[in-house]
Amino acid sequence: MNVVKTLKEDELQVKVMGRLETVTAPMLEGELKNSLEGIATLIFDFSELEYISSAGLRVLFSMQKIMNKQGKMVIRGANEDVMEVFEVTGSVDILTIEA
Amino acid sequence: MVYLRLLIAAICPVIATVCLYLLGRKALFPGSKEKHRQLLYGFIFGLVAVFCSEFGVPVFGVIINVRDAAPLCAGLIFGAPAGIIAGLIGGLWRWFAVLWGAGTYTRLACSVSTVIAGVLSAVLRKWMFDDKKPSWYYGFVVGLVMEVWHMLMIFFTNMGDVKQAFTFVKTCSAPMILANACSVMISLLAVSLMGKEKLVLEKEHKKLSQSFSRWLFVVVLAAFGITSIFTFVLQDSFSMSDNKSLLKLNIEDVKADIEDASDANLLKLTRSVAADLNAADEIDDALLFTISDKPGNDFSEINVIDENGIIICTTNPAYKGFDMSSGGQSGDFLVLLDGTQEFVQSYQPVSKDDSTYMKYAGVSLENGGFVQVGYDAERFRQDIDDQVNGATRNRHVGESGYMIISADDWNIVSDPQGNEGQNLSASGLWIDTKTMRENERYALTVHGKESYIMYAITEGYYIIAVEPVAEVLFSRDLSIYVTVFMEIIVFAVLFSLVYFLIKMLVVENIHKINGTLAEITGGNLNVSVDVRTNEEFVSLSDDINATVATLKGYIAEAAARIDKELEIAKVIQFSTLPSVFPPYPEQSDFDIYATMNTAKEVGGDFYDFYLLDENRLAFLIADVSGKGITAAMFMMKAKTLIKSYAEKENDVAVILTKANEALCEGNDAEMFVTCFMGILNLTTRKLSFANAGHNAPVVRCAGGEAQFLKFRPSFVLGEMENIRYRAGELTLNPGDEIYLYTDGVTEATDEKLQLYGNDRLLAVLNSAGDLSAQEMCDRVKADVDRFVGEAPQFDDITMLHLKMLPKHIITVQPTMESIESVLVFVENTLADLCVPPKIMVKMNIVVDEIFSNIVRYSGAMEAAVECSVMGGQVRLVFTDDGRPYDPTEKPDPDTAAPIDERDAGGMGIYIVKKFMDHVEYACRDERNILTLTKRFETEQ
Repeated sequence: MNVVKTLKEDELQVKVMGRLETVTAPMLEGELKNSLEGIATLIFDFSELEYISSAGLRVLFSMQKIMNKQGKMVIRGANEDVMEVFEVTGSVDILTIEA
Repeated sequence: MVYLRLLIAAICPVIATVCLYLLGRKALFPGSKEKHRQLLYGFIFGLVAVFCSEFGVPVFGVIINVRDAAPLCAGLIFGAPAGIIAGLIGGLWRWFAVLWGAGTYTRLACSVSTVIAGVLSAVLRKWMFDDKKPSWYYGFVVGLVMEVWHMLMIFFTNMGDVKQAFTFVKTCSAPMILANACSVMISLLAVSLMGKEKLVLEKEHKKLSQSFSRWLFVVVLAAFGITSIFTFVLQDSFSMSDNKSLLKLNIEDVKADIEDASDANLLKLTRSVAADLNAADEIDDALLFTISDKPGNDFSEINVIDENGIIICTTNPAYKGFDMSSGGQSGDFLVLLDGTQEFVQSYQPVSKDDSTYMKYAGVSLENGGFVQVGYDAERFRQDIDDQVNGATRNRHVGESGYMIISADDWNIVSDPQGNEGQNLSASGLWIDTKTMRENERYALTVHGKESYIMYAITEGYYIIAVEPVAEVLFSRDLSIYVTVFMEIIVFAVLFSLVYFLIKMLVVENIHKINGTLAEITGGNLNVSVDVRTNEEFVSLSDDINATVATLKGYIAEAAARIDKELEIAKVIQFSTLPSVFPPYPEQSDFDIYATMNTAKEVGGDFYDFYLLDENRLAFLIADVSGKGITAAMFMMKAKTLIKSYAEKENDVAVILTKANEALCEGNDAEMFVTCFMGILNLTTRKLSFANAGHNAPVVRCAGGEAQFLKFRPSFVLGEMENIRYRAGELTLNPGDEIYLYTDGVTEATDEKLQLYGNDRLLAVLNSAGDLSAQEMCDRVKADVDRFVGEAPQFDDITMLHLKMLPKHIITVQPTMESIESVLVFVENTLADLCVPPKIMVKMNIVVDEIFSNIVRYSGAMEAAVECSVMGGQVRLVFTDDGRPYDPTEKPDPDTAAPIDERDAGGMGIYIVKKFMDHVEYACRDERNILTLTKRFETEQ
C-alpha cells in the first residue's frame, strides 16, 4: 500500500493505492493520526485502491469519527469491489462516498 | 351323353372360378383398382353364363342349362358388382337369344331369373356373408333356391297353360336344380380348398352367428322336410280319394242312366197297357193275352190287381189269386192302392218264387186296382242291352278316363274304343270277382296304360270306370311341385329374414359389446358400452358400465395404495443411500457424488460410501437382479451385509467373500447382486478394490484419458457359495478420478433400440473438463437422457463418481507477518486454478479477515490454509490449533447503526459470510476447522 497525502489549506487529500487490509490498515492509521490537526475536509482518493477489508473499514470509521468533530470526510473513486464492502457492511450510510 | 354335356356345362363356372381366383391371388393384375377387377370378373362370368346357355342340353324337348350358376359364382366368390354384371349379361343374352333360335316359351322366366341370380348373389354377399366367401353348403342352397325360383318363374309366366308348363318344369327341374346348385357348391369348395382359409372341420368355439345360422338352417330344413312330407301325403291322399269318388260317381251315373232308361221304357209300356184296360169294358185274362200279343208290347207278363191287392187277372196262371201283400217284392206295389199312380221296381227275384227274376212296373187303373207289367230275364236283358249300348260312348272319367260296360258273359257291351262284342280281356282288363270287390279301386293296366279301375254290378252288367294313373298323379304332382317350390322360397326368405334380424339385433350388438370389452380388457377403462337398440342390451350395457366403473374405483384405490406404499418403499430405499452432498465438507482429499434414477418406483440398484475410519473411505455400487419390491428388499439385505462386514474386515476381498456367503444363505428367490467395491486409504492414496461381476469402472488419471479399469471380475454375489473374491489395487493421485455405474447407463436404449454403450460413456467422460463429482454425474446423466430421447427407461440408472482433489495448502505460524505469505499463496494458487479476478479480490478479503482473526485471537501455534477449486467452486479451509472458536455463531453486526455504535471488529466475519456461499465450522482433534466455499461463473 502506498499513501500520498496532499494538503491544501485545511483540506487534506489522501490517495491510497494498493490494498487496505489487516497489515496495511495500521500504516494508514499511523500516517493520518497526526495529520488531522486543523483539517476541515478529509478526502480519500480510492481510485487506485484495490480492495479493502474490515481492518481498513475500522480505520475509515475512526477517521470519520474524528472528522465528524472538526469537519467532513469524503471518499472518492472507490471501485466496485470496495463499494461492495461498503454496501455489505452498511458503511454507505455512515461514510460520505462520492463518485 | 346328354348328362355328360350337362356335366361339362356345370363344370364351366367352376373352371372360371378356379382360374380367376388363382390369377387374382397371384396378383396378375397388379395396380388395377378393385372397380376394374369387378368389371373384369363380371364380364368373364357373363361370358360363362352365355356359353352355358348355348351349351344347353335338350332333354325330352326341353333345353336344360346351367346359366344361373355363373352369376351366382361371380357374386358369391368375387364380389357383389361382379355378380350383378354377370347376371345382366347372362339375362340380356337369353332375352335376345330368341333371335337366333332359343325358345320363347321360357324367355321371360329365364332372362329375369338370370338377372335375379346376379342380384341375389350380390345382396347375399353384401348383407348376409359380410362381403366374404360363404361356405360351400350355402353355395349349394343358394343355387338350389335360385333354380327353384327359376322353375316357379316358368310356372308363373305360363299360367295359361299349366299342363305344358308343368311338364316343362317336371322335366327340367331336377337336373337344372342339381346342376346349378352343385356347380356353385363345387366352385366354393374349390376356392376354400385353395384359399388360406382351410376347411376347419372342428373348431373349439364357433361363432354365435355361425352356430345360430347352422341351427336355423337345420330347423328350417327340418320344417321344410316335414311340411314337404305332409304336403305329399296330403296331396296324395287327396288325389286318391278324388280319384276314388270320381270313379264311383261315374259308375253310379252310368248305373242310374241305364236303370232310368229301363224304368222309363217299362213304365211307358205299362201306361199303354193301363190305357187299353181302362178303355175295355171288362177285364179278363183273354184281354190281357190280346194286349200282350199286340206288336211292340214285348213284355212277358201282365197282372191286374184289385183294390184288395189280389191278382184277379194274369197272363201267368200260376199267379192267379196271389195276395200281393204276402211278399216283400210284391208288397212294394201296394203303394198304388194308396193314391200313387205309377211305380217301377228294379230287376229282382219275385215273391212267389226266389229263382225267378223279374222287373215290374205298375200303373193304377181308373176303376180301382192297378195293372202290373213285367219283364222276365230275357226280355229285361233285351231292353237293357238297348239302353246300355252306347251308354259310355260320350262319357269321360276325368280327362282321359273312360267307362267300360261288360255283360256277365264278359263280352264288352259298351266301350269308347268300340270293342263291343269282344271279350273284356281285349282291353287288357281282367276282373276276378272272387278277389276284387265291387266299388273298390284297383290299379291295373288297361289299354296299355297303368290305370285305376273300379267296377259295380248292375242289372247283370259290369260297369267299369277307368282313369289312367298318370292323370291322377298329374294333379297331385302339380300340387306337390308348386307347394314344395313355394315352400323352398318361403323358407329361404324366412331363413334370411330371421338370420338378418338376429344378426342386426343380437350378433352385431354382441360384437359391439365384445369390441368394447376387448378394449376394456386391454386396459382402457375409460370406454363405455353403449348398445341401446333394445331393453336387454341397454341393461347389459348399463351393467357392464357399472361393473367397469366399480372396477375402476377399486383399481384406482388399489393403485393409490400401491403407489403410496411404493412411494414409502422408495423413500425408505433412498433414505438408506447417502444423499447429503458434499458428505464430508471438512475434508479436502476427495470429492464424491452418487445418484440413482430408478426405472420403477423401487429399484435393485444401489450405491454406498462411508468412512471406515478417518483414513479410509469405502464406496461401492451394486445391481440386484430383477426390479421392483423384491429386488429392493434384496438390495437392502445386500447393502446392510456389506456394510456390516466392511466395518469388521479390512480386506475388501474378504468383505465380499463373507457377504457372498451370507447372501447365499436362504436365497430362495435365487436373486443375485453384482457389486464393485473399493476402499481408499486417504493417506497412502491406495485404492483396494474387488469386483463381483459388475461393470468395469472408468478410471481417469489427472490429465489422462478415461479408460475402463482392467481387472477380471469375480462371480456375482448370492449365487454360489465358497467363492473367494480377489482384490486389486490402484493408486489414486490428486486429480485422478474413478467413475462407477450400473448397466442402466451403458444399456440405456433409444427409440431405435440402440444401446448407449461403452464408447459413448468414455467419450462423454473424456470430453468433460475439470468438473466436480456431481457435475460429472449430471453430465453423464444428461448425455444418456439426450441419447434415450422419448424412449422409456427400462433399468435403474445409478452412478458414483470419486475424484481425488489436488492439494494446495500452506501451513504457517500465525503471526501478523505470516498473513502476507498466506495471502500470496492463496492468490497464486487461485490464479493457477483460473479463478476470475473478481472472485480473487473477495477471496483475498476473506483470507485477510479469517487469518487475521486467527492471528489476533486464537493463540494458535500453527495454522494452515488449504485452497482448492472444484467445478466452479472455490474452497478454503482454515485449520488452527488455537482456542476452539466458532465464528459462525457470532451474531451479525447492526449494519444500520450510527457510526458511534459501530463495532468494526465484528465486520470481518460478517463480510466473510456475505462474500462466501457456505461457511462451516468444525472442531476436531482440538483444531478449529473452518471451511468456506464460493461458487463462481467460469469465464469463457
